[in-house]
Amino acid sequence: MSDHLTGTTFQTRSVEQLAKPFQRQAIPNAVDPTVAGLHRLFAGSDRDRLRDLGRDIRGHAVANLPKLVAQLVDQLETNGVTVHFAGDAAEARAIVVSICSRAGARRVVKAKSMLTEEIELNPALEAAGLEVVETDLGEYVVQLDGDRPSHIIGPIIHRTAAEVRELFSRVAGTELAEDAGELARFARGQLRAAFLAADVGISGANFAVAETGSIALVTNEGNGRLTTALPRVHIAMVGVERVVPRLDDLAVLVPLLTGSGTAQRITTYLTLASGPRREGEVDGPEEMHVVLVDGGRSAIVGSDYQEVLSCIRCGACQNICPVYRQVGGHAYGWVYGGPIGAVLTPLFRPEAEAQELGQASSLCGACDDICPVRIPLHDLLRTLRRDRSAGATVSRGERLAFRIWSYAWASPTVFRLSALLAPLAARVPIGPARRFTALRDVVFSRGRR
Amino acid sequence: MEREAFLARLAGARPGPDLPSLDDLPQAPTELRPGEDRYERFRHEVEAASGACERVSAGHEGLAVAAFLAGAGATRVALASDLGVHREPVHAALVALGITPVSYDDLVAERAELGALHATVTGASVLVAATGSLVTSALAGRAAALIAPIHVCVASEDRLASGLAEALHALPDASLVAFQSGPSRTADIEKKLILGMHGPGSTLVVVVRSLASDAPTPA
Repeated sequence: MSDHLTGTTFQTRSVEQLAKPFQRQAIPNAVDPTVAGLHRLFAGSDRDRLRDLGRDIRGHAVANLPKLVAQLVDQLETNGVTVHFAGDAAEARAIVVSICSRAGARRVVKAKSMLTEEIELNPALEAAGLEVVETDLGEYVVQLDGDRPSHIIGPIIHRTAAEVRELFSRVAGTELAEDAGELARFARGQLRAAFLAADVGISGANFAVAETGSIALVTNEGNGRLTTALPRVHIAMVGVERVVPRLDDLAVLVPLLTGSGTAQRITTYLTLASGPRREGEVDGPEEMHVVLVDGGRSAIVGSDYQEVLSCIRCGACQNICPVYRQVGGHAYGWVYGGPIGAVLTPLFRPEAEAQELGQASSLCGACDDICPVRIPLHDLLRTLRRDRSAGATVSRGERLAFRIWSYAWASPTVFRLSALLAPLAARVPIGPARRFTALRDVVFSRGRR
Repeated sequence: MEREAFLARLAGARPGPDLPSLDDLPQAPTELRPGEDRYERFRHEVEAASGACERVSAGHEGLAVAAFLAGAGATRVALASDLGVHREPVHAALVALGITPVSYDDLVAERAELGALHATVTGASVLVAATGSLVTSALAGRAAALIAPIHVCVASEDRLASGLAEALHALPDASLVAFQSGPSRTADIEKKLILGMHGPGSTLVVVVRSLASDAPTPA
């Protein structure tokens, strides 16, 4: 369901996605206001220094994971939380199924969590006989339609209101109007019933605070908070790199996350869940579980790619990426799209098909410029290209072509001549130029700058 | 996996930066600018998030809450136990307008009644000026502030923290603490903003002047 890697290439998937005209318009329509809003929001602020702090807090956390995770676990246990350790996706799924079955649960509600997409949790819960309902509006649509999210923040950025209307009308058994307000109200009714009936609520974690043993959830809809409030069991799925040392760190990381993700100072709901219901509190879960998931992360610790673990999943690098903006999230073949997906997927997924994703970039560096925690995505993509092409053979023709290029561009006269001839070559594409221009428009600027 | 084996796999990291001091936080969208008035910024941010905000003198909070709820046609209203000194005036004013509120604590186990509420009224441990947020906690009930279509919060002006950094130091000791800023919202369908997705679609914060700042209100 979440896996379209096998037997496809980035190119074949891109061709498929480029044929969807709505998506190519919908992405800029949705993300451009966010990018513009980000710059407006930070206009009176020292965004560069905040990003430095964000980079240092996240970089420090990732470099000190054993110590900080141990502190987090101790603090969670002191708070009455049961902590579980999952080495891989299969173990994580088994742990959640076993918590649900021990609790005698039948119905599960879920808040949005990219980690649960990674580990493909829902099919495992359904196979165990549990009824699972995604409660984020976008994720609910994705679930009803057997689709996949295509953007970290906006899961159904690729879907039209007409498609949502058709889908919800099918569920309702009556024709609903194509009005976002009415469609959202319909979903609210369905989901509220699910919340009130649920035995278990499963959330992700935006941050896990080691100092206090708190799971921080950032949502606008409020489904994250209802997930932690109404069911009698709360399970938080936490990627082990989500840890941050101090509660105070949220004063830096929250505005960086919400500013970059949705151009908001803070989201409507920022929830800190630090344990099950206490004596004297009127509601809340009887049990709280935290499932810490490795899922390929420990292999990145200590490698050339360590900095990618600083990611706070804001989606800003997708919004700005010229490749993502054309092909959308599904072309990347797995859970994450855009520059962050091009780096994470080859690291998390062993398949040969995943290894080419470093190529899904024009190396323009726009992702470096926008990343709120200054992950050098552009360098990581180059490192990935280098690593994944090690041992590759280069044909004699290619080697000759590059030797000629190197000679030509070292000589001003030949360089000028080549610049004159290039537009001509693009018009009459032969050989490699034909393959290059098959999917791209080549535009040469005129005049001097 | 066992804890020790799990932690051992995370060892061997490349060295990272020192943990930065946050004593001198740079200017952020979640902090007040020098010289800014706390209440004015708070009101501005609440309204920017599509919420309503009103400041009243002590003793007048009941009327403000009751007028808002009566105007919205709410009849099933629950009061949370964290209202403190504001509970009595709010209760009395609602009864005067023919609305008999129930206690959230008494209702919370009855799922069907919880789902049928029109409005809830809670207190707040902290208000955050720079973000227009209010902080509720499990002390009021985890779901109290977002189970109904309307949420009203009553809090004294001295609960106003300047920004997120100060607020994080003033959080109550509870199993769940939550910042909320305006009505619940979504923009998942073609980026159209819809209020009231899961939580309330309509919110009011009543800020009660503290005695020190209780200047006479203009008529």
